[in-house]
Amino acid sequence: MFTSYHHLLKGEMTMSLQMLINGLSLGGVYATIAVGFALVYNILKFSNFSHSGILVSTAYIGYFIATRLGTNFWVTLILTGFFGGCLAILVEFIGFRRLRLKNVNTMLYFVSSITISMLMQNLITVLFSTSYYSYPIFFKTTSFKIGEFMFVTTDILMLVISCVALVILQFILKKTRIGVAIRALSTDSNTTSLMGINVTRIVIATFFVSGVMGGISGMFLGINYTLYPQLGGMITKGFIASIIGGLGNVSGAVMGAFILGVMEVFLINIDFIGASFTPVVTFLVMIVFLLVRPQGIAGTITKEKV
Amino acid sequence: MKKIVTIMLAAVMAISLSACGEKTPTAPVATEIVIGSLQDLSGGSSVSGIAMDRGAKIAVDEINAAGGIDGKLIKYIPYDSKGEPQEALTAYNRLVDQDKAVAVVGPPISNIGLAMTDTAAEKKVPIVGAFIDSRVTMKEDGTPQDYMFLVQPTNEQSGTIQASYLMNELKITKIALFYDKTNAFGVSQVNAFKKYVEANGGEILTEQVFKSGDVDFKTQLSKIKESGAEGIFAPNYPKDNTLYCTQMNQLGMDESIVTMGGLEFAPPFLTTLPDPSIVNNVYFALNVAFDDPKLAAINKLYIDTYEDAKTVDDISVKVYLGYDAIQLIAQSLKGATEITGVAVKEGLEKITEFDALPGKISFSTKSHQPLGLSMVMYSIMGGKNEKIGPYVPVVK
Repeated sequence: MFTSYHHLLKGEMTMSLQMLINGLSLGGVYATIAVGFALVYNILKFSNFSHSGILVSTAYIGYFIATRLGTNFWVTLILTGFFGGCLAILVEFIGFRRLRLKNVNTMLYFVSSITISMLMQNLITVLFSTSYYSYPIFFKTTSFKIGEFMFVTTDILMLVISCVALVILQFILKKTRIGVAIRALSTDSNTTSLMGINVTRIVIATFFVSGVMGGISGMFLGINYTLYPQLGGMITKGFIASIIGGLGNVSGAVMGAFILGVMEVFLINIDFIGASFTPVVTFLVMIVFLLVRPQGIAGTITKEKV
Repeated sequence: MKKIVTIMLAAVMAISLSACGEKTPTAPVATEIVIGSLQDLSGGSSVSGIAMDRGAKIAVDEINAAGGIDGKLIKYIPYDSKGEPQEALTAYNRLVDQDKAVAVVGPPISNIGLAMTDTAAEKKVPIVGAFIDSRVTMKEDGTPQDYMFLVQPTNEQSGTIQASYLMNELKITKIALFYDKTNAFGVSQVNAFKKYVEANGGEILTEQVFKSGDVDFKTQLSKIKESGAEGIFAPNYPKDNTLYCTQMNQLGMDESIVTMGGLEFAPPFLTTLPDPSIVNNVYFALNVAFDDPKLAAINKLYIDTYEDAKTVDDISVKVYLGYDAIQLIAQSLKGATEITGVAVKEGLEKITEFDALPGKISFSTKSHQPLGLSMVMYSIMGGKNEKIGPYVPVVK
């Protein structure tokens, strides 16, 4: 009796740990999306939904790099990240530069970002929705087992690369001149400008970094979840993670993303909630955060905005 | 100058006189028959929509080349429904009100079909489509949706055949369900499947669902693995099937658990995967056999016409459905005294034993669903399609 109970408990624990692994892997992708999203909020104070356009475009760009140039995973990742950064600079120039120089209401940034997002998604739909595209196989081993736990290669890689990218980002923000300038701009744009810092250059740099993160996420989304024009819809996950973590707070967005990933996996596993009601619960959590704690989890944990 | 004016006046008079000689024009006689089409030419299920559209175009070209329907040529107008019922409704209204279509080729999307029934009844222009959910063509009271017609086997037929094959031929009784809860295509087949399994001594161990747009199924699949199921019924769309197969393989479940997959596992599904060899132990039922000599001509024409098709494996079954939809509409109008939606509807109801690509089609007057279509079982092992043969469900 005791032995069977012990086995049952062990089975439950194994399952829970496996779910935690799956949740953290999912959180890794959400984190790169959320950070790209949060960075722009941080300096321009609006929710940049054009980031969804970056996600879907880079997912396709990565595919074409890998298939046309025959590049390996790492080269594809670097090139996709770079193109993501360049695309984000272009988006900033077309969608936000004039608005910023005219000092318009923030609402217009938001409208512009939604418009650009729809424009990019429709462009992808028109150009690529007639066929299926899938990334070439980068890794021979799709999954591996350690003890009783199953690890999916791309998931783990995604988690590791997301973490490395986030560490590098933190280093750039904290230790480099451009990083310090971005943080200064996020706190007070007028003073930063008065101090002789070229605001436009900092904004471009921020968009570039955000685009690189978008490129990394886009490529991973494409590899793991196939390519389709609505892939950019995953921006919702980044948005929810940002709300949970605290809008515009990069560390908060990372925490929010991991919480969201783990929460989703555990909710799907609960029989009476399942996959159908998981988004309902997620959005309820988001509303609770907005009403009760609009500054998000990181509101007290992280004092700085970046 | 006077000369020029005189010549001009003479010319004007000559034109006026010649005009006087013309007869008063009579009411215009229709020289062409407009048939519309609502397909997802973009969006998530565009591969199916484009295939259906191409099949319809092949049929239109064939009929027009042979002189049209009683001498009248078909004008085919396709619109993009983008996977959205609202887009489909708007396009249908445009086809009927503006383009004066007398029949419409419907999409292979049950959700869209369900949204069209009332409008089609109101506008009286029939939609002939591949929406598998039987509610699209038959009302709850057992009478037909007057202006909706189906050209392939229904959800009940498909679900029952697949349940029977799994239980009686593969001897699997411990079964899990995995389907998109927001998609009538999957839900309707699952209901028929479950009914058969429960009535024949099988056991549904777990029912795992997802919703349109979800991309990570690993939690649901892990639960299925944990449940001890030996077979999974997964009647989902191609994009979901791609993710399903990839994640089944990642979790090491493709070798040990059988998947009864639904007709969206049919070609060109395997060609959409970077590594088809990850697809194992999958079975599905289809209403045609790809090696049927009847399909040879259309297959060749398709491969010659469309660059993206190299072999038969690149041809979707939806091509045949689009082709048959047009042929059936054309047949309904042969000998008709008037070219209207009502005439098409009445003509379709009278069709008996029409020689369609998958077999002889007659429409049931009770359901507007085809009678007498059998299904062929296929399997996928190591990324290769294998035809098993026609299968009739075992009724105990």
